[in-house]
Amino acid sequence: MSDDFAPEELAMLRQLFCTEAQDALEQVTTRVLAATGKPPAESFTEMMRVTHTLKGAAGTVGLDAMVDLSHRLESALASLARDQPPWTPAIADALVEITDGLRTFLERLAEPGSEAAASALRDRLDQLGTPRVERRTGSFRAEAAAAAAPHGDAPPTEAPQTGDLGIPTEVVADAPSEGLRLDGDPATPPLASLRVEPARIDDLMSSAGELLFDRTRIERRVQLLRTMSRDLARTRQTLHDALARVDPAIAGRGVVAEFTNAERELAGQAALLSQTTAALLDEIEALRRTIGELQRGLTRIRMESARKLFLHAARTLRALRRATGVHVELRTLGEETEFDKAVAEQLIDPITQLLRNAVAHAVEPPDERIAAGKPASATITIRARQENNLLVLEISDDGRGIDIARVRTRLVASGLWSATRAQLANDSEVLDALLGSGISVRGDADADELAGRGIGVGLVRQTVAKLGGEVKIASVPLRGTTFSLRLPLSTALAHAMLFKVGGQVYALPNVHVVDTTQVEPAATTIAVRHETVPVLRLEQLLGNGSATERRPGLIVSFAGKTLVCTVDKVVGPREIIIKPLGSLLAPLMLYAGATISGSGKVQLILDPAQLVRRAYPDAPVAAADAVSTPTVLAGRALVVDDSRAIREAMTSMLGSEGWIVDVAEDGARALQMTRQLRYDLVVTDLEMPELSGFELITRLRHDERFHTTPIVIITSRAHPEHRRRARELGVRALVAKPITRRKLLEALAAK
Amino acid sequence: MGELRNVIVFALGSGRYAIELRWIREIVTLGFVTTVPTAPDALAGVINLHGAIVPVLDIIGVLDGVGGPPARQGDGALVVESDGVACALRVDQVDHVASLRFSDRGELLDAMHKPLVLLDAPALVRRALEQVAGASEREPGAR
Repeated sequence: MSDDFAPEELAMLRQLFCTEAQDALEQVTTRVLAATGKPPAESFTEMMRVTHTLKGAAGTVGLDAMVDLSHRLESALASLARDQPPWTPAIADALVEITDGLRTFLERLAEPGSEAAASALRDRLDQLGTPRVERRTGSFRAEAAAAAAPHGDAPPTEAPQTGDLGIPTEVVADAPSEGLRLDGDPATPPLASLRVEPARIDDLMSSAGELLFDRTRIERRVQLLRTMSRDLARTRQTLHDALARVDPAIAGRGVVAEFTNAERELAGQAALLSQTTAALLDEIEALRRTIGELQRGLTRIRMESARKLFLHAARTLRALRRATGVHVELRTLGEETEFDKAVAEQLIDPITQLLRNAVAHAVEPPDERIAAGKPASATITIRARQENNLLVLEISDDGRGIDIARVRTRLVASGLWSATRAQLANDSEVLDALLGSGISVRGDADADELAGRGIGVGLVRQTVAKLGGEVKIASVPLRGTTFSLRLPLSTALAHAMLFKVGGQVYALPNVHVVDTTQVEPAATTIAVRHETVPVLRLEQLLGNGSATERRPGLIVSFAGKTLVCTVDKVVGPREIIIKPLGSLLAPLMLYAGATISGSGKVQLILDPAQLVRRAYPDAPVAAADAVSTPTVLAGRALVVDDSRAIREAMTSMLGSEGWIVDVAEDGARALQMTRQLRYDLVVTDLEMPELSGFELITRLRHDERFHTTPIVIITSRAHPEHRRRARELGVRALVAKPITRRKLLEALAAK
Repeated sequence: MGELRNVIVFALGSGRYAIELRWIREIVTLGFVTTVPTAPDALAGVINLHGAIVPVLDIIGVLDGVGGPPARQGDGALVVESDGVACALRVDQVDHVASLRFSDRGELLDAMHKPLVLLDAPALVRRALEQVAGASEREPGAR
């Protein structure tokens, strides 16, 4: 069989098989968990069909161990269908464990020890298929208990545990467990779908993540540009005011005229800069929206429904029930809510922790519950839903609630809070503190391993914070507690390289980190691939380190320049969520943002552009930094004049100011063109055949696309009447021919 | 005598200060404080506050330009919010909340008639912003 394929093809086919096998095994698990008691006949049929197919596929790709295991599973299912042995919750648990074991086995196929794993799974499958009365003490007790219990008590679905599966087999007087109620039939076929290797999506996601760094950098530059533009306008104003105070008679008319001209030019340029910056900001906004859409789209590809999380919760609760004997059931709502796969994976531990926490703290013994008017069995409800831009996951119990007064006291007693603080804080702040404090509500004496002394719950908060979300608690004494996890809908993760300097961890965008190297003490340059590059000592920039020892260095490349940054220690590549530093810290150019580590510490992200600047102090970082004639696009202009010479002249003048110029020889043609394109500026003559300038303008103003477009009139006759009409039509300026560059710029700058 | 001010009184260094409650968003114990190299002394660092990055200010540093003791994990801080900017002001000890009024001599006195320095939170934040902006201008190639 496996000789049919070339090695690479075989490897690929096996990979495909593993993916399909995971799905198939998941289906079996779902059916087992979804059933109350023994699964119905159709479920068995389906499960057997699925394992049978699995067996065949395993054979085709030459995975003999899997063939054997699938076969045993199929037989076991067949026996169970025939009630050999009769179904018990323990069997359900065992099946789930076995399918989980099979999935793990497939994942670890290549690793040593898989033989032993296969063998263990074989044994478990054998135990499952045949009824057995074991000599081990466990089942002995079960039999004795079963014999002793009056028949009326034992719920019909509970049979004495006959198969010994190594689990403590006390007959737990559960109400028949509800199992996991899944809304909708678990057998619904999946929607038409496309199989994509997760690695490809991850690559796309990481590229989208890089865009985040780029966008953040660009935005800061544009903000700077705005400030510069405002500064320029102010300076020009100062100049203007100063000039106004100069007495031409004293200073000399010629000189004053020159200065005044220059100042006017400056005014025009400042206005253009301001316009361009405004346009640039619009473009950035559009870019930001596009990046956001891209990320959202990619995340949607990786979305999976909350069902997986719910299944996991069901499994966990089952295990907790077995381990503690606590009477608690699970209810789930909102299974169709979608989660980003990465987020879902990260939520598994927090959910586990919260379930343990609830079982350890919240659930009262049955008699206490009944005395409080509650059903003997507690219910934990997990609810998933989307709310605006957030994913909300709520885990609530109907247990005893949190004694807020007690927490307040314990916060002060443990020294975490002062008495004043405890007095000032409201209930929700107290609950908030509980999340981060490591304090256990039950009192240190009782805090046990299960609940982890409240530290586990603190970790929930850290994990959620790392995902960019937050956790809130609400609690009503005697009624219950709800943990609410609120997460952003898409977590955009960027790839960063983390390193340590002066005891703190920093990050650089990974895309700019080419490699790592070792740097000799006191070196100021280093050879990197036949190039000599400068060494930037971060231990001196960010700390008080000395250059007296050999250090690791990061080879950083940005905008065509390479440098090596020395650090104390390279931590490694990580996926991070970029968080803004806030407006107080924004002026610090060295930092592009920050991220929060898994332990809740802030880690600053360095801006590679700044590092390049410091390493290459004399060179401009990028071509755009060099002062040059504007190559920036100011917009699209339409020039309307019946004189070709004028049209050419205007095209040339506007063009050198960065405009794209279209021309029309009369008003009618101009209207035609405006129907097709939107223009940012219209320059028109007044006296033209066909449609006069004013008629053109009037028509344009009625078109909502041109309602506020700047319009400049050029005319050889500038009557007051014309000016009045021009003003009425909201024309920006009326320029008298002959047109000069200066007049044009003045007109463009006019308000 | 002026009108009553609802303030929170705290100790910092050898002085005692008050800030009006309306600026105070919450009182926290600082978690790990990440220092920000090349920032002015007034900026003691940044912290993670409910998932957001919040600067920690050294009040004396903002007022005098000379930094005091560094902010450490476990220190108390008042989180103020003004003009959309939130900062954590490191304090030595939060004393109490009180309603106080100015004496005839224009001093704000606490319950024991000892003078307090009333801090204007928005002005403090603005001052800090100026200092940070000033520091950044001295960075190579800043503009």
